[in-house]
Amino acid sequence: MNSEFVNKWRSQVKKGTLAFILLNILKNNEFYGYELIEQMRKFTTIEIAEGTLYPLMNRLKKEGLVTSRWAEQDSGIPRKYYKLTDIGISTLTGMETYWQHLEMSIQKLIK
Amino acid sequence: MATSGNVYPKANKMKDIDFKNKSAQKIYDSYIRRMRRSITVLAKSDKEDILMEFNSHIYEGLQNTNKENQVEKILKITQRLGDPEVVLMPLIAEKKIEQATRTFNPKHIFQAILLNIRSGMIYTVFAILYICLFVFGIFMAIKIVHPEDTGLFLKDGEFIALGRLQSSENATEVLGDWFVPVMFFVALTLYFIFTIMLKITRKK
Repeated sequence: MNSEFVNKWRSQVKKGTLAFILLNILKNNEFYGYELIEQMRKFTTIEIAEGTLYPLMNRLKKEGLVTSRWAEQDSGIPRKYYKLTDIGISTLTGMETYWQHLEMSIQKLIK
Repeated sequence: MATSGNVYPKANKMKDIDFKNKSAQKIYDSYIRRMRRSITVLAKSDKEDILMEFNSHIYEGLQNTNKENQVEKILKITQRLGDPEVVLMPLIAEKKIEQATRTFNPKHIFQAILLNIRSGMIYTVFAILYICLFVFGIFMAIKIVHPEDTGLFLKDGEFIALGRLQSSENATEVLGDWFVPVMFFVALTLYFIFTIMLKITRKK
């Protein structure tokens, strides 16, 4: 097995699906950055440099898929919560449809 | 943009985390310093926003990492976050270009182009376009030194040269004293056009 090729391919898949995963996590709840990472760990085995989450969230916000708000905490260190927008919800639906198609095609192929 | 939601009740300023352990404090301070150094080119509000968000990440991490001592905790958290210089790069590039196209400030434009130059050919093209604007500045300087043979030269209504013409082969300079202001105006207009183009490419 060419494990180097597999590793490269895996990191491309990760990169390509990260936004999809995060939007899914935000589907039913609002979360702050650290919680998003925890949720990702809970559901996937994807390991990323955690700091890269924030550039990505900024991009999703710029695309109008999420909004954010600062929430004061007793500690004096506020949390920034992210939430899906209506556009985010409909975008996610579109992504899910595509994902299901892709999954079906791949299942047929690898049989 | 109106719904960006960064409405903040108090002064928009990061509150440092205090550690009992001195080594842990040092590691934390060093990480924050590296962050500050990486984001110096950004607007103040963007800087604080990024700092506060990473600070919150570190703080929440400290609350949720239970087993080790403080030094191990902060080490683990900062390692997982990654090198600020690397991790923040795309965020800085993005925020900088937002600021540049919002303010039309040449300093921000220049910094944004430098930051984004690696992310594709399109920015190289813009870099070249902006550099071309310097030509107009050079023309204005030459005009002041050699007022006689610098200008816009026409011959029988056809374009011959823009700039300095050594032996004016029957070509007539048409702008005269207007050369400097016209060059300035053209450069300014192009500058605005390029920046609007830059803004449009960003929206795609």
